[in-house]
Amino acid sequence: MAERSFHHEIQSLRLGAGETFRGEGILAVTKALLQSGVSYVGGYQGAPVSHLMDVLVDAEDLLSELGIHIEACTNEAAAAAMLGASIAYPIRGAVTWKSVVGTNVASDALSNLASPGVIGGAMIIIGEDYGDGASVIQERSHAFAMKSSIWLLDPRPHLPAIVHMVEKGFELSEASHSPVMLDLRIKACHVTGEFETKDNRAAAFSRNAPLGKPAAFDYAKLSHPPSTFAHEIAKVTERMPAAQAFIREHKLNEWFAGDLADIGIVVQGGLYNSLMRALMRLDLADALGNTRIPIYCLNVTYPLVPEEVTAFCASKRAVLMVEEGTPDYIEQALGQILRKADLQTKLFGKDCLPQAGEYTSDVMVEGLAAFVEQAVPQGFDAGPARKIADALKHHRQTAAALLDAELPGRQPGFCTGCPERPVFSALKLAQKDVGPTHVSADIGCHSFGTLPPFSMGNSILGFGMSLASAAAVGPNLGRRPISVMGDGGFWHNGSITGVAGTLFNRGDGILVIMQNGYTSATGQQFMPSTIAEGRRAETPMNIEATLKVMGVKWLKTVRSYSVGTMKGVIKDAMTTTEKGLKVIIADGECQLARQRRVKSEDAAKVKAGERVIRVRYGVDDEVCSGDHSCIRLSGCPSLTIKPNPDPLRDDPVAAVINSCVGCGLCGEVAHAAVLCPSFWRAEVVQNPSRFDLWLDGWRNRLRGWLQAEAVS
Amino acid sequence: MKPISPRPISIVIAAMGGEGGGVLTDWLVQAATTEGFAVQSTSIPGVAQRTGATTYYVEIYPVPLAQLGGQRPVLALAPSVGDVDLVVATELMEAARTVARGYSDPARTRLIASTHRVYAVAEKTAMGDGRADSEKLMRVIEAGAKTRLLFDMEAVAKAAGCVINSVLLGAIAGSGVLPMSPEVFEAGIRAAGKSVDSNLRGFQAGLAAARGDVPAVTQPSFKRAQPETPAALALVARAHGELPEPARAAAEEGVRRLARYQDSRYSQLYLERLAPIAAAERDAGGDGSLTRAVARHLAVRMSFEDVIRVAQLKTDPARLNRIRAEIGAAPGQPVVVKDFLKPGIEEICGLLPGVLARPILAVSRRKGWTETAYWGREVSSSGILGFSALWLMARLRGWRRFSHRFHDEQRSIEIWLDAVTKAIALSPLLGLEVAECARLVKGYGETWRRGEASFRAIHDGLITPALSGSWPVGFAVDAIANARAAALADPEGDRLAKTLAAVQEKAAA
Repeated sequence: MAERSFHHEIQSLRLGAGETFRGEGILAVTKALLQSGVSYVGGYQGAPVSHLMDVLVDAEDLLSELGIHIEACTNEAAAAAMLGASIAYPIRGAVTWKSVVGTNVASDALSNLASPGVIGGAMIIIGEDYGDGASVIQERSHAFAMKSSIWLLDPRPHLPAIVHMVEKGFELSEASHSPVMLDLRIKACHVTGEFETKDNRAAAFSRNAPLGKPAAFDYAKLSHPPSTFAHEIAKVTERMPAAQAFIREHKLNEWFAGDLADIGIVVQGGLYNSLMRALMRLDLADALGNTRIPIYCLNVTYPLVPEEVTAFCASKRAVLMVEEGTPDYIEQALGQILRKADLQTKLFGKDCLPQAGEYTSDVMVEGLAAFVEQAVPQGFDAGPARKIADALKHHRQTAAALLDAELPGRQPGFCTGCPERPVFSALKLAQKDVGPTHVSADIGCHSFGTLPPFSMGNSILGFGMSLASAAAVGPNLGRRPISVMGDGGFWHNGSITGVAGTLFNRGDGILVIMQNGYTSATGQQFMPSTIAEGRRAETPMNIEATLKVMGVKWLKTVRSYSVGTMKGVIKDAMTTTEKGLKVIIADGECQLARQRRVKSEDAAKVKAGERVIRVRYGVDDEVCSGDHSCIRLSGCPSLTIKPNPDPLRDDPVAAVINSCVGCGLCGEVAHAAVLCPSFWRAEVVQNPSRFDLWLDGWRNRLRGWLQAEAVS
Repeated sequence: MKPISPRPISIVIAAMGGEGGGVLTDWLVQAATTEGFAVQSTSIPGVAQRTGATTYYVEIYPVPLAQLGGQRPVLALAPSVGDVDLVVATELMEAARTVARGYSDPARTRLIASTHRVYAVAEKTAMGDGRADSEKLMRVIEAGAKTRLLFDMEAVAKAAGCVINSVLLGAIAGSGVLPMSPEVFEAGIRAAGKSVDSNLRGFQAGLAAARGDVPAVTQPSFKRAQPETPAALALVARAHGELPEPARAAAEEGVRRLARYQDSRYSQLYLERLAPIAAAERDAGGDGSLTRAVARHLAVRMSFEDVIRVAQLKTDPARLNRIRAEIGAAPGQPVVVKDFLKPGIEEICGLLPGVLARPILAVSRRKGWTETAYWGREVSSSGILGFSALWLMARLRGWRRFSHRFHDEQRSIEIWLDAVTKAIALSPLLGLEVAECARLVKGYGETWRRGEASFRAIHDGLITPALSGSWPVGFAVDAIANARAAALADPEGDRLAKTLAAVQEKAAA
């Protein structure tokens, strides 16, 4: 049960031979996995690949028909380790996560997987979170492919091309006994398109057709010395040549001819569409993919195939390598290939294009103009291209100059009613009383606490790492640091790296665990301590019980909306003379998940004539003085501003809009921070009982009398 | 080979989470697919949060696939600078942002956007008025797009009972930029089968707007003037007669407000305080705008926010109706209202006479109790007991004149007015700057304490030396204006302290 319903998507996963699939890139990959006869899938959620898992988790029937085993892994290392099934058995498997962070977490298992290699196709679908809209460190997954001899597929962002590479990827993996990674950038995951489907394939061995007997003991399949020495040699003498041969024979890389034959462009497959658009803007290509400059499109970016590279470059005076991110691994490799082949083709790359950052078509227009100017193709005047590039630069500057100041940004933030926001309000208020301290932030919805209006957090070291990253802070700071961690992060690794580590080392600090019941930021997937009804309800693990068993003595669970209580507990934790780890569990269900449940329940009750109370908060606009302290302490999207109704005042006043879900934070904050008496809470009684009506009548009458009295 | 094939049509949709941008994109993709065109969309929704800006991008190749002889267009996954045919924005600032990022082309782009505002966090958290200037945003849009369709689509959506996305779809369908007819879009809404009726209503409204039938801008006045009362009538007439034209409306409102706040004697005091300001401005050759500013600030300062005023406002007969309307309660549905009141020592002492209040406050301030001791209550203000209590509190109005707070406030008001009068004699411009400083003092509890402290700092640090004539007028005017802006820049007062220090340093040099 994730945030979205995937009913429609599941239907398209059932499409058979000759039918047309329409939808997003990541779902096309999902369908391609089913067409490839996988026996198992797994993964750890993270944008932009969450949907792959969400859909499959919802598609239980389909998976059991095909006998596919699925695991919602507790972290990426677990997902990578799953691929170990393909080391000794001829079964195909795929796992997914967000990269580069997930690949970092998985890398130990990946090294140990890649060393013995596989006999069943093993594929890792990585959501490359790079460039515009990315939420993680900007590094390249390419490095992992190179260091572990995992082949890196980077298909053109075109559904048929992506699906083809998934299918061929398994064959490549089996032909070369190496795992492969399919690299999908954010926009490619979300790109819509269509492709002609094939029938889903049930694997030869699966849950429905078990292997029956274990593999024979084979020390050579273990990543232990001396096997590892043999593995290293096999990687370069057998597996890579086999992979290169397969890539060449199956034409996984593509070659597009053009009339300016004495120059060329080598491009990562994933950048092909942006490159084509840039060429089109420079009048060097049309919208149908016809290009004037020959293009060698690398749908496999590791390993390169030297014979193909030299064949492409041999007759050219210059080529441009279009490679996103840093370092420029492919460009360096190209240089080496050209040098060794003694080719005099001049190599351009990050001298024409920027060293870092996303290669949008705008960036490429400038880079291509610089390239054709310097490469001087025969019979070609680079003047018009330069003019177009300069005009674009000028246009961008003119547009930016329309504003005299930057517009305020609109980052994502806590949702309306989010139970994590009040914890940051309490943290802000508590620090006001006992003084500021180091706040160790983490990954998850709560990392929005680092944005205005809270602007809190001194470091982020990775998912579930907040407590571990405060280990050396406390002793050197002389104050107790506060670490914030989500329940998702706790199960991902924080319980071991943070809690066990701190207890073992007798650390003194505060850990606030946001227990909202889901991995919310990625779409409310279930995790070990989810208690909501559904698939995993039979095994709800309990964070509080776990902490007790681990030996946490100072442990408080506080309803996250109780700002005053929370503030008091944080102050206690900061000031108590008791040494050791202090854990505060901030308990409040993810409001998006809760609303989805409560809304339909309430609607049904109202329909059935049952008494239902609807709660909303509001602001008396005459009482509000327009200081907006409440907004600075809450940041709720439904708490906003409106024009001042007072004819004598101009500053806008606070206002609560209809999206309010009645969580009560604004009232709590007004109370805990002693702000102002403007906030009210209104309860609308739907389907009132006779007693409600009777009481309401008397209240109305009394108010009427007193008000009449006041006027007279 | 010379490229000759047509270019794809490109559409950028700037939306925010929860506005249905994804559904809008799906509708466009569906319609193009139905008509046999190659279409591609991308988005960066990434995480599930509901507040961030989300951009959707759609490309449609305007030649049907069937006529391409097996070729397929290569469509881009992101907009390019100056290369967008249609910019669609669900809100005014996002429209301006898209233009300023350079996506639109003044020679080609059609822009469709709603003119309503959804404020960004930075706009909401400002201590005074941090809103972006809508006219400036509008000027950016005007300069950056070839043609525009701008109206308040949120209001239209609200009237139609739909989400803003269907209104936008109608406006897109009617724009003539896309090769699909409006009927295809309508059929798409029907086929999707979700909220069909309301979506169709929104779609029709958007379509009509695109065809020139733009909904009239009915900007209801949000200002609520004080009702006329017999007690204030004569004084209102007096204000009308005595004061320069620009100040009249504000002063008349002030008279009515203070008569209700206290009594007509208090309104009279208001006019008596205003008269010397008006005279001083007249002597200095002013046009009355300074008097208008003082009339506004003086009325607000004289109706300071004490416990009695809060009780008055909370028991106002119009209040419950306003709340009922705001939360959409049906007639006859009981509504229970609770208020969050937390008076502290200062508020309670404010009600006592000075002889009692002063020693208590002195001790409390020394011990730091003013910031820590509060009497927290959730008052059920629609209920019998809660309402009666508030009503009784409001009846303390007559007692207010004997309260410590009243005397304290009158003294501060006199200090401020005295400074304004003296400043006018030096320059009406300086007078206006001093008058505007009254804006800083407002609110309750900590907000009020902070505002008071800021005012005092500016008064002692800048206004006093400025009035002694030791600074050039221009310098003093700038200094006070900067300090006021600084006082509203951060609640911790850091910027104000820095600004004051900088002015002092400059003055000394």
